[in-house]
Formats: sequence, C-alpha cells, structure tokens
Amino acid sequence: MKIYCHITSDLAGAFWPPSRMASSYIREHRVPRENRTSLYVLCVLCGLWFVLASTYAHAEDVLHLYNWNNYISDETISRFETQCACRVVQDYYSDNEEMLAKLAAGASGYDLIVPTGNAMESLIRQHALRPLDKSLLPNLKNIAPAYLNTAFDPGNRYSVPYAYTLTLIGYNSEKVRELGLPVDSWAVIFEPRYLEKLKGRVTVLDSQRELLVAALKYLGYSANDVNEEHWKQARDLIIRAKPYWAAFNASSYIKELTVGNIWLVHGYSNDIFQADLDAQKAGRKFRLLASIPHEGAVLALDSMVLHNSGPRPDLAHRFINFMFDGKNSAELTNLIGSGNPNRDALQYIKPEIAQNPTVFPDRAQLARLEMLRDLDRHQRRVLSRIWTEIKLR
Amino acid sequence: MSDESANLSPAARLTKWLVSGPPFIFLLLFFVAPSMIMVLASFRYPGEFGGLAPIAAADPNILQGFTLETYQFFFGDLIYSEIFVKSFLVATATTLICLLLAYPLALLIARSPKTSRDLMVLLVILPFASNFLIRVYAWMIILGPQSAFSQLVNSLLAVFGAGPVHLLFSPFAVLVGMVYVHLPFMVLPLYTNLEKHDPALLDAAQDLGANAWQRFWRVTFPLSLPGIFSGSALVFIPVLGMFAIPDILGGTGDMLIGNLIKEQFLGTRDWPFGSTLSIMLTIAVLLIAWLAAKFGGSRGRYA
Repeated sequence: MKIYCHITSDLAGAFWPPSRMASSYIREHRVPRENRTSLYVLCVLCGLWFVLASTYAHAEDVLHLYNWNNYISDETISRFETQCACRVVQDYYSDNEEMLAKLAAGASGYDLIVPTGNAMESLIRQHALRPLDKSLLPNLKNIAPAYLNTAFDPGNRYSVPYAYTLTLIGYNSEKVRELGLPVDSWAVIFEPRYLEKLKGRVTVLDSQRELLVAALKYLGYSANDVNEEHWKQARDLIIRAKPYWAAFNASSYIKELTVGNIWLVHGYSNDIFQADLDAQKAGRKFRLLASIPHEGAVLALDSMVLHNSGPRPDLAHRFINFMFDGKNSAELTNLIGSGNPNRDALQYIKPEIAQNPTVFPDRAQLARLEMLRDLDRHQRRVLSRIWTEIKLR
Repeated sequence: MSDESANLSPAARLTKWLVSGPPFIFLLLFFVAPSMIMVLASFRYPGEFGGLAPIAAADPNILQGFTLETYQFFFGDLIYSEIFVKSFLVATATTLICLLLAYPLALLIARSPKTSRDLMVLLVILPFASNFLIRVYAWMIILGPQSAFSQLVNSLLAVFGAGPVHLLFSPFAVLVGMVYVHLPFMVLPLYTNLEKHDPALLDAAQDLGANAWQRFWRVTFPLSLPGIFSGSALVFIPVLGMFAIPDILGGTGDMLIGNLIKEQFLGTRDWPFGSTLSIMLTIAVLLIAWLAAKFGGSRGRYA
C-alpha cells in the first residue's frame, strides 16, 4: 500500500493575525494563581514521568524491526517478546524505494530490515549490511534450497529469505466466466481483443518496472532483459493497451476489486488474497482469484538482513531463528497469503492456502518465475523516460 | 536603508535584528541552502544506488565530477516540455475555475452583515480540520462508479442517449480534486480584499448613474484585482507541483510535473534529473510570478 505521508502546507493560518490574537488572549485570560501552581505540579510530574520512562526503556532489551506494512502477525510479535523478554519496536514502509530513500537520508538504529531482492542487492553493494552468523541460526535448515543462494546474495552471507509474493493476474471469477476470458496469459492485459470487453475495468500496477516486465514477458523476453529495443516494443504494447485500462494503481485496486468496480488486475498475490478475504467477508457472490500467466511472472523474495546501524545484532539473530520456526513463519502466510520458503511451515498453513498454486507454485511454475535485478542509473533514466511517454500518450 | 538604521538607537536596532533575524535565518537554512544544494545536484551524475555520484573519487572508472548531461537530457527531448505545458494547462484551468467559484462566494461573505461573516469564513476553512488526503480519498468514493452521484450523472446521460462515463480515474476527477482542495486559497484572499472596499464608492457610482453590472465591472472588479492575483498565485503554484491528487484520482494519462519529479527521487533514484526538473519548475513559477507582479501590480495599485 502506498500511503502519502506528506501534508499540504496549511496556508489558512497565514490569513489570521496570530500575534495580535495571541497577545490579546493572554491579556484577557490571565491564568489564576492557584491554577498556575497546579500547572507547575503538572509540569514536574510530566518531567518525572519522562525521566522514569526513559530509564525504564534503557533497562529493557529492544529489537528495532523495519518491515513492510502488515507483514507480520501481532501474535508472532508478542510470542517473540515473551520468549526473549524483550520488546519489538516496528517501523513500516510501503515500498522498497521508500525504505532505501529513508536509509539513504540517514535513518539508523534498525536491527532488522526485510527488503526485496533488488533493494537488498543495492544495500549489500553499499556495504550497509552486517554479515550473518549462521551458527546462531540452527533453524536455517527449514528453508527450501530453492530460495537460498540467490544471485542477489550468493552464499547468503547477508540475507536469509522471509517470504515472497508474485506479480500476477487477479480477477473477478464471475465476470471472467461470463465474458469467457483467458486468464492464463498476459494477453488479457495487453490484447485489445480481450480488453474491449473489459474497458475501464482493468487496473495495472503503478510501477514502471513491474508493468514493463509484464509486457516483456508477454513479448517472450526475460524479465531482466535490458535491451532498449525490447523495452521500446514493450512500451508500444503498453501504449496500445492503455486506453482500455482504468488506471495505474498500486494500492486502491484491492478495494476496487472487492467492491466489484474492477474485474481484472495486474497485481501482487498477497493483495489479491486480501481482496478475496474482504470480498468473502462482505458476502460477495464472486471470488477474487489469481493466476500465474504461462509466459511467466515476477517473484519478489523478501529477505531478512541486519543493518549496520542496528545496536542489537544478537536479538536480530534470535528473531531470525525464531521466524524460521515453522509455526511462526506459517502465521504470516495464514494472515496475508504470502508465499513461504519454509518447509517446516507447510504443516501449519491452512489447507486452502497450502493448495493455492499462486501461493505455492509447483516446480513447473516456479521455473517460469523470475526475480528482478536492480537497474543501473542509465537504465533507470531510460525507463523513466519510457514511463513518462507511456503516461503522456 | 542606511540612513534609517543610523537613526535608530542601539536598543531599537537590537530589537529589529531579534525580530527579523529568526525568520531570515529560517529562510536561509530551509530555503536558500536547499535550493543551492539542488542546483549543485542538478550538475552531478546520479549515484549507482540513488543519491549522487561522488564529486571526486580515487577510482577513475567511477563517474564523478560535474556535468551538463541532465540539462541536455531535458532539452534534448520534447516530452518534458510537453509535460510542463500540460501541467500549466491544468494549473490554469484549476485557477480559472476556482476564481469563478470563489468570487461570488467571497463577495457574498464580504457583503453579509458583520455578525455572520466570521461564521462563513470559518465554514470556508473548516475542511482544513480534516487531513487533505482523507478529503481526496473521499472523492474516490463520491466519483466511484457505484456512487449515487455517478449513477445520477449516467442516468441523466442515458436520457440524452449518451453512454455511461467513468468519472473516477480521469482528468475530470483530477480537476475536481484540484479545485476542491484549492478553493479556500482563492476565497480567503478575495474576501480579505473585498471586505476592505468602501461601500461609499458603490453609492457614488450609483448616484452617477451606473447600473449594477457597471458598478461591479468598473468599481468592484478593478479594486479586487490584487485579491485575484494573490488568490491565483496561491492556487496556481501549489497545483503546478501537486502529485498526490493525480496519483489518487488520476487515470492512465494523468501524469503532471509533480508526479514526474517525485518519481525521480523515489522509483528512478535519479536525483540530478529530479533536481533539474525542480529547477525548471521553479524558474517557470518565478517567471509567472514576475509577469503577474508586472501586470497585476501596476493595475492593482489604486486599490
């Protein structure tokens, strides 16, 4: 979910004469003496409280976790807190860029971060991460080898997998059946002959990279293809399909799917899972399902890494090992429908999720999924140029 | 200036410094310094992971130093000028609509009895009590296809044989959001201007035989020009840089310059080009402010 944390400059205040108002207020509303005494007492008490609170906090063990929104269940956190007799303080981000930008701006003190592969690669190359001590992570044996030793971090020197999501096609089961649309191919997002039936009912991710990659996959190229000619073909494909799409959307499509305004999306597996849960809760007649296009899709593996600035690597290691316990790891999948690299977790996962091929893809599907590599500065600028053109045309 | 300060007593001079010092330092620290940093950043290379490439690095293979490449990129491609023009058109349309809506309202408030004026001004600024984003998100519900408003519009269109329209995720939704958010910024300066008008002038005009329209066009309107210009500036400039409203309410083609700049600093991690775009925007805004001051200032002087 993308949430804007900025506030518009509230210019309204500029139209009042605050200084005059304030001084006349003070003149007319003298604080009576007895009230002033109680005010002092209050101040002293507040100060005392702050002092006590801070000494208490110092005595405590605190793990600072910088994680995605809604990416761990409250029960898991409180179980860990009991087990380690410490406190977990969480900070959240809603996309990798936000997290990278905050760290680049000098944010520090985070013990543990959960970035996606390409963002992690960038953190590793910036020497921002602390190497892991595997001897403290006996539960690492639970992780499926397919998710270890990725190109982003060979040998898992700095990172261990946490969970993954897929970028795929989500759809309204009723509408797709009525209109007889194929949902096993990106064609349904890009081909006007299908889109004609869906005009204004499709949203695609408001992400330059994800959308470009979906188009590249449909054209038969690799997700990590950086050939500018191929990118231009992808651009033309997107521009041709764009008039049929309702919006580029990265967050509100969950709600729009649930309500029934949008029938087909290019979106993240856990968002579609969320939309389906919401729709069932609201008693809708349709289900919101997901499918992995046969051309292939993106798998985003989020990993746990230790930031250099974190004061408590000991607690961070304990937390990682705790999360590798199948039961704890399963709680996340049960909560948000994220993919789970933990072999021990499967037995604790609700059967309807465990059997969902878009949460646990089989071997053949897994082979078609790709993880995104980071782009270099030149490629990023070219992509931004293409994106501007897509949006403007 | 120097004569004046020579006449001041030391205590008065100290007071003057104490009063004007903090805002001056504030502007220096939080406006001038960041602007300078931005200008410098626009002449550098983007860093490999975002941020900026070093000015000087020991390794000669690393991109370093200063360059004009972002400016060449900007001017070498018409698409960026296109997005500027588009943003200016949206900002102009928003400003004009705000002006048309705000003027009668401000006039109404200014001509109301003194007792009800404060209440009416309060009502104008009341929306500020809730967060800007929440108000914009509310428009998503109002304009959504299931809303009563959308259904009313579409059933009216059906009467005339026109097909249903999607209101949300469209340039129309962006314009509605822009006008809605910025309307108070037009009403308030207009009201403060109109409130100061001397009613005797209108009486005099009437005595001289001016009808209602002439009284407005030849007395009230010229006197209100400074209000119009300050209101327009307060609407036009923020709209030009706005990125949240097109993001939330816009459709597939509603990218404005604000979105492009934001994207350079987040997704694209291209600070130099983002800085270049910001500088171009600042120059454009200053140009407009200068034009407005040149024309608005001279015509509005007799207010």
